[in-house]
Amino acid sequence: MDDSVHSRPRVPETLGTQTLNFTLNGEPRTLEVAPNAVLLDVLREQLGLGGTKKGCDHGQCGACTVHVDGQAMNSCLRLAVMCEGQQVTTVEGLARDGELHPVQQNFLECDAYQCGYCTPGQMMSATALLNDERIGTDDASVKEAMSGNICRCGAYKNIVEAIQRSRAQLGYDATRKEGAA
Amino acid sequence: MNDMTRPDFDKPRVVGQRTPRIDGEFKLTGRAGYTGELHVDGMLYGYPVPATIANGVLESLDLDAARAMPGVVDIFHHGHFEALHRSPNSMAHGDMVNEVRLPFEDERIYYHGQYVALVVAETFEQARAAAQRVVARYREERGAVVSLLQTEAEGTLQESAGSTRGDPEAAFGGAEVKVDSTYHIAAESHLQMEMHATLAEWRDAGKRLVVHESTQGVFFQRNAMARVFGLAQENLEVISHYIGSGFGNKLFMWPHSVATAVAARMIGRPVKVVLPRQQDMTSGGNRPASRQRIRLGADRSGKLTSVIHDSTTETSLVHQYVDTCGSATPSFYACDNVSTSQRVLEVNHGTPCPMRAPGEVSGIFALETAMDELAVALEMDPVELRLKNNAEQDPASGLPWSSKHLDECLTSAAKRFGWEQRNPAIGSMRDGDEIIGYGMASCTWSAGRQPCEARVELRADGSLFAACGTQDIGTGTYTIVAQAVAELTGAELSRIEVKLGETSLPAGPLSGGSMATATVLPAVAAAARDALDAIKEVAVGSGGAFEGSDPDSLAAQAGGLTDGERRVSFEEILETSKLSSVNGQGSAAPGDERSEYAFRSFGAHFVEVRIDPEISRVRVTRVVSSIDIGRAINPPTARNQVEGGIVMGVGMGLLEKLDYDPRDARLINANVADYIVPTHADAPEIDVELLDYPDFKHNEFGGRGVGEIGLTGVASAIANAIYHATGKRHRDLPITIEALLASS
Amino acid sequence: MRTFAYSRADSVDHAAHRTMPDTAFVAGGTTLLDLIKLDVLKPENVVDINALPLKRVERLNDGRLKIGALVTNTDLAHHPEVKSHYPVLSEALLAGASTQLRNMATTAGNVMQRTRCPYYRDPAAKCNRREPGSGCDAMDGINRMHAVLGGSDACIAVHPSDMCVGIAAIGATLTLQGPDGEREVDFADFHRLPGDTPHIEHDLADGELITAITLDAPLENAGSHYLKLRDRASYEFALASCAAQLVLDGDTIREARLALGGVATKPWRCSDAEAALVGQTADKTSFERAADIALKDAQAREHNGYKIPLARQAIVRALRNAARGDKPASETQESQA
Repeated sequence: MDDSVHSRPRVPETLGTQTLNFTLNGEPRTLEVAPNAVLLDVLREQLGLGGTKKGCDHGQCGACTVHVDGQAMNSCLRLAVMCEGQQVTTVEGLARDGELHPVQQNFLECDAYQCGYCTPGQMMSATALLNDERIGTDDASVKEAMSGNICRCGAYKNIVEAIQRSRAQLGYDATRKEGAA
Repeated sequence: MNDMTRPDFDKPRVVGQRTPRIDGEFKLTGRAGYTGELHVDGMLYGYPVPATIANGVLESLDLDAARAMPGVVDIFHHGHFEALHRSPNSMAHGDMVNEVRLPFEDERIYYHGQYVALVVAETFEQARAAAQRVVARYREERGAVVSLLQTEAEGTLQESAGSTRGDPEAAFGGAEVKVDSTYHIAAESHLQMEMHATLAEWRDAGKRLVVHESTQGVFFQRNAMARVFGLAQENLEVISHYIGSGFGNKLFMWPHSVATAVAARMIGRPVKVVLPRQQDMTSGGNRPASRQRIRLGADRSGKLTSVIHDSTTETSLVHQYVDTCGSATPSFYACDNVSTSQRVLEVNHGTPCPMRAPGEVSGIFALETAMDELAVALEMDPVELRLKNNAEQDPASGLPWSSKHLDECLTSAAKRFGWEQRNPAIGSMRDGDEIIGYGMASCTWSAGRQPCEARVELRADGSLFAACGTQDIGTGTYTIVAQAVAELTGAELSRIEVKLGETSLPAGPLSGGSMATATVLPAVAAAARDALDAIKEVAVGSGGAFEGSDPDSLAAQAGGLTDGERRVSFEEILETSKLSSVNGQGSAAPGDERSEYAFRSFGAHFVEVRIDPEISRVRVTRVVSSIDIGRAINPPTARNQVEGGIVMGVGMGLLEKLDYDPRDARLINANVADYIVPTHADAPEIDVELLDYPDFKHNEFGGRGVGEIGLTGVASAIANAIYHATGKRHRDLPITIEALLASS
Repeated sequence: MRTFAYSRADSVDHAAHRTMPDTAFVAGGTTLLDLIKLDVLKPENVVDINALPLKRVERLNDGRLKIGALVTNTDLAHHPEVKSHYPVLSEALLAGASTQLRNMATTAGNVMQRTRCPYYRDPAAKCNRREPGSGCDAMDGINRMHAVLGGSDACIAVHPSDMCVGIAAIGATLTLQGPDGEREVDFADFHRLPGDTPHIEHDLADGELITAITLDAPLENAGSHYLKLRDRASYEFALASCAAQLVLDGDTIREARLALGGVATKPWRCSDAEAALVGQTADKTSFERAADIALKDAQAREHNGYKIPLARQAIVRALRNAARGDKPASETQESQA
């Protein structure tokens, strides 16, 4: 049950890396990345942040969803170097000071997952959706807006319940701004 | 005196109570380490090169360009690989594999996606880029068997997978009312969210192998690898702490694991391989297509007089997999004349393997659709038809059921659904542009149990530790193990640490077949009792906290022992006796009850579809289910399993189909956009009731397992609802827009 | 994924002068990176144009709406001008892809979206579009998703965009910036029919960049609807879709705009059907007649014949809803999908 990531991988010594300056979960970071490395692989393999998942690598499942400047995006289809100067938030940046984000807490209480593999992506979409006044608040609008996140375990009912509970608790006024850690 | 070591399982304290997952925080914060995101020092990345044909010979591999790519360390293939041996592939001996052929064993290509090479490089990007530069030349051969659904070939009869009682042919011939229908189901992909992944590391100068694998069975993989590599089992460790589900395709080892371990040994550095999604779909298992003929005979009153269920499913050319469709049929309904037969046909596909409710989910689609056809022929309500043929004992074995409440499932779900408002006339229920269809089907899955060992420690720091070499694939095994320990010791859940998914732990079962709960919990309970015996022995011993007491007078309560009014915590007892911990071992196995009772879960699904015929749109809008799984150890996670099964059933019914090119058997929709599964927007409104009839004949906890049953019957209930709406009987899955258009 | 050189363009002029061969511009990246990973697109140079000042949406004096190339699909779908004057485009945008992809994808990138033909996406298959002269495996393969309109013997791949179907039903002009300066192209002429040269997908020269799309002035008092029919309820490409706009005078159709998606090799404007609708009563008979006209040249292969009746259904229903000016709840939800 423990977290079994053994060690941080070393930065690869690839040919022709480029320097990337961006803000990751509120922390300024500077890295050397391969030009053809996507944000997802840089997070997982270079930075050891395994919370962002690879489920298809082609923008077809949503497991890799992160926030870029507050917007939910598929990190598998974004070159890391394209994030220059941007604020990137991953699931590792949701909890603050060891306290779960309300969306995380509601996922826990509503059992809004099974295997847990799509879950970080679901929560990143959920937190973005709750901050987006352009998306309707009824269940049908939530389901449509969340449809870019496949859950093969089929925990959809509980996920929507967790989101709606979070909405009730957060309210628009209380929602937290991205990258303001 | 309430002695927790002999808990009153009629009134459990923790078992059966809503318990948030104890591993939840790891999953929700991204700290849960799934195989693909693990790192070890010096680790390299492997990327397999898949065959681009499905039938022929690999004539040559041009590796020069790939070898010259930056970061490439080595490329493995038929001409550059270790000599190994196959696994015996025995279920009984725990070394079954999903594909017996070893990677690169010969240069014949049996299926699209078969690995022809493995490129290993310093980074993932380098490995993938180099793999795309490998040039394979093939001699493609005509005559690939594309699919069971595109041939008249009958396949090979599997004598051991069929059964007969009575004289079903004669009874069918003389039946007053008959149904004789043939059903086809397309091959499906598990599409588990986490692709197959292996991280192999050799230690002790290549003598000892540690493998992290996303697997539903660490012990099966360890045993198989020991056979393949000729290693003592003791020198192999397989670890799988978190699994991004499997639905069956991670039960047994696949060739990528062997290739990864070989690469790691030959290079002398750890290697990680995460299959790309396309290869996961071509080469990491599928539910085989099936063709089934069902013949039902009944008298005018609706009593079944004959059931004949003949099935054919696919297997690959490199492995024999039998997806027995008829295994539930002999037990489903009271009928004196029943036969089932099973054939398999070799096709040029990646090897099929068990997928959630293997065999039976296909068989139940056919059987329960045929029952609906029979109800129509009889002009009888389909619920009434099922109640009329309810089997009061297991008609296959003649044994009484350990516990069965199908009749209550049918009546309860019908009531909650509003079945009495159903106008049986075809297309009679309308709402604006839409026709509403109501359909139902029963569901079932066998309740099995395996031998299991477990260990429980009570520690001086106040924590408890439980260990078992099974896995949590998302069903909630971590949590129910903790619940069992809490139930027996009275300790708080937050003090209980659970370790699963390692072959260094006491031998545990596969996470499959809805057997893990009933298998693991009795062993955990035995280990907890043993640990309590150990701490009582300490407590009553010289200098102990209850020195001189009769151990039988001590009871476990609230994480301590009590004797009358006096309670001392486990940690205090251990401190008093200067001990760091006591250890309990336990094992449990099915016993004589298996020859005294028949064990099977049943339930019922009621489905509402809405069809807009003028735009050929069908959507499943509502599902109401009642399922009898004995006792749900953790009701929310159990219900979640059924709800997830229903969602997967919507996919099976309406969406999912692996498309093999009719000319050459190449799988052309091996991606998550073209192989479509239900999204949030496709998930219907779901109402699942879990009946609460603990099955203590099955095990002391009363639970029967819940992973498979929710999926069974769903696709049939959908097809039956569509029939009610349109009058068109759909016997082939998925029910596509084309099929709807053809019927309008 | 193969390696490439990455650079950022800091001005349109700068970008347009990157005329070295095998250069790809990247904006959202949702098509480009997908296809580079599959080894279908093989650029040597990738130029990031996200810093370019092409993110404005402005109403021109003549009533037209000029949309910067880099406006994301999400922002465009929710833009007040689009929602109030071009609801059919807003609906079409929201019917496409997923929230995440719409947040990434840009207006010009969507115009440049590549086909989803599985044989195009598989370098081991024969595809005249990907590799001129190699043949077409779709023609006699699994062609369920393929076009029934605008195909040729060389290619029957569908243009997959929803946005472009909405734009086709509105009318628009593309502004292109190249090494030799700026030019404008009618949206209807931008995408090419495959003919004998399916690899030439559009009217964009090497080094040329789409900088803006200017929508025709909105039809006043039009009812409209974008209807997308597909297997599942969301996050899937269209099997058939229809963008319809109708201006009624009582029950009589004064103006009509009709375009199809999911069934054609390019965003498919149905001008003959539009003409046939004008002056007719807005009823099922005229809608069905329009559908018949729109589909009269449709040609099916083995697995895509269903698309002809399905497209017919999409047209009739989209016209009906456009005429009503309101939509039943169930359709609204999924057409947003």
